[in-house]
Amino acid sequence: MSEVTLTNVVKAYGATPVIHGIDLAIRSGEFVVFVGPSGCGKSTLLRMIAGLEEISGGQIAIGGTVVNDLPPRARDIAMVFQDYALYPHKTVFENMAFGLRLRKRPDHEIRARVGEAASILQIEHLLQRKPRELSGGQRQRVAMGRAIVRQPKAFLFDEPLSNLDALLRAEMRVEIKKLHQKLGNTIVYVTHDQVEAMTLADRIVVLQSGNLVQYDTPDGIYNRPAAQFVAGFTGSPPMNFLPCRIGEGGRTIHLAGGVDLPVPARRVAECARHVGRDVVFGLRPEHVGVARAGDPSQAAVGGRVMLVEPLGSDTLALVRLGAGDGAGEMTGRFAPDAGLAVGQALPIGLALDHFHLFDKTTGAAIRGADW
Amino acid sequence: MRRDLSERTLGILLLAPAALLLAVIVVYPIATLFVNSLYGVDNANPAAGEQFVGLKNYATAFGDERFWDSTLHTVLYILVTVPASLVVGLGLALLANMPFRVKWPVRLGLLLPWALPLVFAGLIFRWFFEYKTGVVNDVLMRLGLEPLPWLSDPNLAFAAICIAIVWKSSSFMALMLLAGLQTIPRSLYEAAEVDGATKWQQFVEITLPMLRPAIFVALIFRTITAIQTFDIPYAMTGGGPGDSTETLAMYIHKTTLDFLDFGYGSALAALMFVLSMAATSGYLKYTRRSSGRSGED
Repeated sequence: MSEVTLTNVVKAYGATPVIHGIDLAIRSGEFVVFVGPSGCGKSTLLRMIAGLEEISGGQIAIGGTVVNDLPPRARDIAMVFQDYALYPHKTVFENMAFGLRLRKRPDHEIRARVGEAASILQIEHLLQRKPRELSGGQRQRVAMGRAIVRQPKAFLFDEPLSNLDALLRAEMRVEIKKLHQKLGNTIVYVTHDQVEAMTLADRIVVLQSGNLVQYDTPDGIYNRPAAQFVAGFTGSPPMNFLPCRIGEGGRTIHLAGGVDLPVPARRVAECARHVGRDVVFGLRPEHVGVARAGDPSQAAVGGRVMLVEPLGSDTLALVRLGAGDGAGEMTGRFAPDAGLAVGQALPIGLALDHFHLFDKTTGAAIRGADW
Repeated sequence: MRRDLSERTLGILLLAPAALLLAVIVVYPIATLFVNSLYGVDNANPAAGEQFVGLKNYATAFGDERFWDSTLHTVLYILVTVPASLVVGLGLALLANMPFRVKWPVRLGLLLPWALPLVFAGLIFRWFFEYKTGVVNDVLMRLGLEPLPWLSDPNLAFAAICIAIVWKSSSFMALMLLAGLQTIPRSLYEAAEVDGATKWQQFVEITLPMLRPAIFVALIFRTITAIQTFDIPYAMTGGGPGDSTETLAMYIHKTTLDFLDFGYGSALAALMFVLSMAATSGYLKYTRRSSGRSGED
């Protein structure tokens, strides 16, 4: 069993708190990704699990053992660092064997385990090289190999792909996912890249200024964000936000510039509880497109194209809703053959089944009963 | 082709000032030294002054017991004080590299012996080891032990001088090693810690191998200055008792300035220069070979 449990974990540097009481239960074998902007405390939290950073309060347990006072070497974890932290004076083999050698494992076992890890990662031909003779991607593999041979209770990854170029990053992301499927270990992984988080994680922890904002599956994070921060952090481009007011009976959403949107029947009850309130209206780009006549799932609004970004597979366009300054701008995802031109007037279809509402001051999601 | 030529000329022109300066302050004095070593005063006809005597001064040196003794003393100082100041300096560097909240007292303690003039350090230690009024004997007596004739017994005088040299030179070692220590990334220690290394294992497996280039440079510098050992024994014992603590540099100084024998003094200095070159090239050869083999970047 190798679950990782955090109970009210607090970290403060002097009088400055940086982690504000985090509770987290990571199941055995689960791949959990900590994501958030820089300075949100995700790396600090990981380093506290590793034991490289002391905790100021609360409790951390790995595999059922409270590890608060244990040094990193006694926690039975392995870590992959952002700069790989390979020992430059040791060969790849020695780098990978180091942890086993310190634990006085017999020679034949060390050779077998290093060989096995090297074959999984396809670096057998590099075993006698020094780290400086390797490319970035190869160093990355060696760093993972060093973690694998230890067969620890949990793997900790600290932004392991941020030093690689985009193409290699995508390739290594697949490798890491395959590795997890093969070994089935508990993995805690830190990144600032929401694509990495979405693609790799069983569950994602979204952190903001030392607070846990949401702990959910990628589907939950994307489709049911708990806060405007989460919605604005996930998806590329992220969710569109416009200020709005809920109209009489919860049947209308009033945007600025006189643009009114009809609330779909199944969400009227939910909106009716917030009549007259100033809230934030959120809609993802994929729910903003060209209006199709007679489509009941859409609300059609007049608009104008302000900016066009062709991506190949589809085209992103910034559109202004309503006349004049209207209700503000939204990014929409359009078909590549939609033939959009800047300045063009365009009827915009908004898929209103999918809108989100957030509190204007706290940013917390205003959720319907069906969530 | 013409452009190549003019770039070459420009290159030579840009190098010229540095080359000229090097010639004036390095090549010229050394050449003069070698020329001087070939001259001497004929004792049978001193009125004739300095005359060309060929390699006679060198022949004299090889038959001169005092030359061999002072060379042996110098080598002994090297053998004792170079390793000792490496060990002490490494300890000081590790101490200075610890994450103290207030760093300046350690840094100051590190710099102070280095900043003191050598003669001054020699005088301080001479006072420490004084038979009747010295601190060392005072401590020995308080511990109920007999006071020792530190500066008038040949072996004790040698030991006292070694202690002074190590005290004085360790801080320079420490500064060089500290610079090396600070280039070792912290994440290597964290990786080793996660891998299961104790503090001692981290020192042996990470610090020492990563520090090797810095250790070599420090050793070269320290050895070269040790070959020139002069000020501290000069201030502490003046080479005594007898000539028992006299170094080669002190003998050269005496020959040239006390006995005014410039030719012979120059020959001795030339021999010391050869000794320095031999030591340096030995180290350089070793570093080149070992960096070729293990290849630290």
